Amino acid sequence: MKPIDGIFSDAARALARRTSRRGFLGRLGTALLGGAALPLLPVARAGAAARDPAPGEPSRASELGDPQRCGYWRYCAMDGFLAACCGGSHRSCPPGTEMSPVTWLGTCRNTADGRDYVISYNDCCGKDICGNCICMRHEGDRPVYTPSRSNDIDWCMGRAGIVYNSTVAIVVGVATEKE
Amino acid sequence: MRRGGPGLGLALALALSAPASARDPAVDYMLECQGCHLPDGAGATGVPDLRDGIGRFVGVDGGRAYLVRVPGSSQAALDDAALAAVLNWMIRAFGPAEVALRFRPFDAKEVAHFRTEPLVEVDAVRRGLVERMSAD
Repeated sequence: MKPIDGIFSDAARALARRTSRRGFLGRLGTALLGGAALPLLPVARAGAAARDPAPGEPSRASELGDPQRCGYWRYCAMDGFLAACCGGSHRSCPPGTEMSPVTWLGTCRNTADGRDYVISYNDCCGKDICGNCICMRHEGDRPVYTPSRSNDIDWCMGRAGIVYNSTVAIVVGVATEKE
Repeated sequence: MRRGGPGLGLALALALSAPASARDPAVDYMLECQGCHLPDGAGATGVPDLRDGIGRFVGVDGGRAYLVRVPGSSQAALDDAALAAVLNWMIRAFGPAEVALRFRPFDAKEVAHFRTEPLVEVDAVRRGLVERMSAD
């Protein structure tokens, strides 16, 4: 038995020399916390918020970017706070707010597939202003005397909760040319 | 085989000579109208319901002019041909079906003619037209 005893005792000593108990606890903590933080990374968030694409919407595979960042392709004419940073997603309003049915619309090019899509910028209404992720891009924006082309309008008008909270960007179609 | 050539070339030439801004009227509806009239034409609060309604205007005296002169049409960022195409698309999309099948489509010339006269008293004119529809 002696040789076997010796092998295990040497191995245990070697292991104890190479490692420290604090080091092990540190690495365990990193693994636990890191594992918990993984779902919070942008890719996972986008996946969690995603449902199957609506008709006319690009497939999930052909959409790049983070809906919590102003640079996201759908926000090319955004003027407001991103609902995705306020408890909602890029196409659903935060809890406690109501999506305005009246909107303003524009087109944005999806860099992933090179096509232009019609985007509806619906305001989320009825709760105080969100304040997170302000996004002002204004591509295609025109002065308010052309109301349907202006993103400066509070589209919460006419709703029970007229207070503006944030904005979503919903794909409603592909900007096709006339046949 | 040979005979198909010139026809195809002509079609291609016509396609290439189309103006670059020519969009599908359904897309122009999305961009210029849907914000208030909503995707299904039902209309937000205070916006007339287009469903089974818009087509009835072409049947009454002054109705065709009204559809062009109403501010949402006449002030849209569309040229006369594109506005005519959107109006035709809307009548076909929202009906009523019996009108959509047999109405005389708008063209750029007719739209240009009506567009020169802006409509100010929208509600009063609309009421008058609706009364005329019910009288028929």
